[in-house]
Amino acid sequence: MSDGSAPLARRGIEPVVFRVLTLAFTIFIVAYVLIPIVVTLVMSFNDASQIRFPIKVWSLDWYSDFMASPQWTEALKNSFIIAVGTALMSTTSGILAAWAFERYDFPFKSLLYILIMMPLFMPGVVLGLGVAIAFGGLQIGGVTIYGSRGLVMVAHSLWAMPLVFMLMEATFRTIDNRVVEAANDLGAPPMRTFFEVVIPMVSTGIISSVLFAFVISLNEFVMALFLTDRDTQTLPVLMWLSLRSAGTPRLAVASVILALTVFACLSLIMLWYIRQLRKVSR
Amino acid sequence: MTADTRAYTAARAAVIRRKRAAPWLLLFPALVIVLIFFGLPTLYMARMSFNLSEGSKLYTPGLSWANYQTVFSNTVFVAAIWTTLKLALMASAATLVIGYLFALLVWLKPARWRLILIGLALCPLLISEIAIIFGWWMFFPKNGLLSFALTNSGMIKDKISLMYTEFAAFVGLVYLTLPFCFFILLSILDGIDKRILEAAADLGASSLTILREVLLPLTRNGLLVAFSQCFIFTMGTYATPSALGPDTLWTMGFLIQEQMLGRNNWPLASALSMVLVILVGVMMGVTRAFSTRRATLHV
Repeated sequence: MSDGSAPLARRGIEPVVFRVLTLAFTIFIVAYVLIPIVVTLVMSFNDASQIRFPIKVWSLDWYSDFMASPQWTEALKNSFIIAVGTALMSTTSGILAAWAFERYDFPFKSLLYILIMMPLFMPGVVLGLGVAIAFGGLQIGGVTIYGSRGLVMVAHSLWAMPLVFMLMEATFRTIDNRVVEAANDLGAPPMRTFFEVVIPMVSTGIISSVLFAFVISLNEFVMALFLTDRDTQTLPVLMWLSLRSAGTPRLAVASVILALTVFACLSLIMLWYIRQLRKVSR
Repeated sequence: MTADTRAYTAARAAVIRRKRAAPWLLLFPALVIVLIFFGLPTLYMARMSFNLSEGSKLYTPGLSWANYQTVFSNTVFVAAIWTTLKLALMASAATLVIGYLFALLVWLKPARWRLILIGLALCPLLISEIAIIFGWWMFFPKNGLLSFALTNSGMIKDKISLMYTEFAAFVGLVYLTLPFCFFILLSILDGIDKRILEAAADLGASSLTILREVLLPLTRNGLLVAFSQCFIFTMGTYATPSALGPDTLWTMGFLIQEQMLGRNNWPLASALSMVLVILVGVMMGVTRAFSTRRATLHV
């Protein structure tokens, strides 16, 4: 069936009404989703120092202002370091756990499943508060844990790891078991089978996991607000704090930079996916 | 028993032991993260909520229900609980309607539209909440785009501001939850054979009848899961309502942050968090009880 809307609207004036309503809703939804994005993008090229419409002069001044401000570039750097750390941490632990669930039977399996998934359903403010009070005064070997980037990485992993776990569990289910069994029969130890046979088969899933974890950590700011100090605050945290005092086009620049990074990650996933498809068809 | 068989049994036992240990080794990193950085803090938070807060110290160890009494008797906190529930209920209901129509649109439209519309639905999910807040923050106020567009097109004379209203908070919240609702419902709709609509239409049902008698019953579970997902998400979100809504729009999340970072009252912040967690848990339990079979997996 080429056009599924046909049967919904067949007789009398219904087709006209139906078509008009569909069009109206389409316009509404496109406008709704795009408004905050387009407003931000446009505002980042504004020349004036205030948020005001219409925009009279266009310039890249706020971009150079952002790059010239040590506070903002430092925040961007923190965001990147924390996001990379979160991606590594949550992908490693998530993949291994998903493999355990796919391959082995062990006691308390369904209970552990719920335990691993649970943090995903907890509000960020609760997770941030919990980690902050539990590790607030802790020092290990003279190094304060609280306020460190490492603690934020783990906190972000609480959301990223269950997602990786879910994604990889679904991916592992798609692989051909016979290939794994063949590797075992040929005498490969489990570790070798895993790294040389299984991992290459699920590379798209792994790349997606890494980048999704990266994006989650990059965008998150409620937990980071609870867990960072002045030296380790991330870009979204700095944006939140400066929005509370005064909004300037610099915030728009920061938003655009965050969004561009995310879309770069998405493009990477797409490119990898296309590459894999070509490999298979060859 | 010969030496050979004994060696064989020993080797077998070693293999079995290794097989038993393998899943735990694989699970180890994930369990460290979940137990130490989620389980432990949650227990700590539960314990903290019974401590007392006196003077300038962060807390004094104790064992009392005082914080919970404050949460359920002080008008500020009681009002915040109601505000949170009311806002979550309204936003989730609106999201459900918009998300359902959106998912139906994508489902019914020819395939070439599908990718574009799905890309559109991904936007709110992939853009940071703070960037979205800032986007609406430039849209609603007097100097914002909305006011400019309306006055410029001659629809209204004086500049208007919708900033810091409950409506603005509501628009922001629906925006955030829309993708969750959309993708859950689209995945349910994709499992339905479209010819069923044709069959219903051939039998003389009008569009509204098809929606009421065919589509809604088939997607009932999906709707329930989507609603509870939105509800849970909205209850925990505080940045959007507090940045876009009026100053008096105090949600539980906002008060948790206020007590924790502003007033340094850890026990009260913990008690509030516990109440929030319990509300989330109750909501999940209710959904699980109402939905049947496979839909529960999504919760």
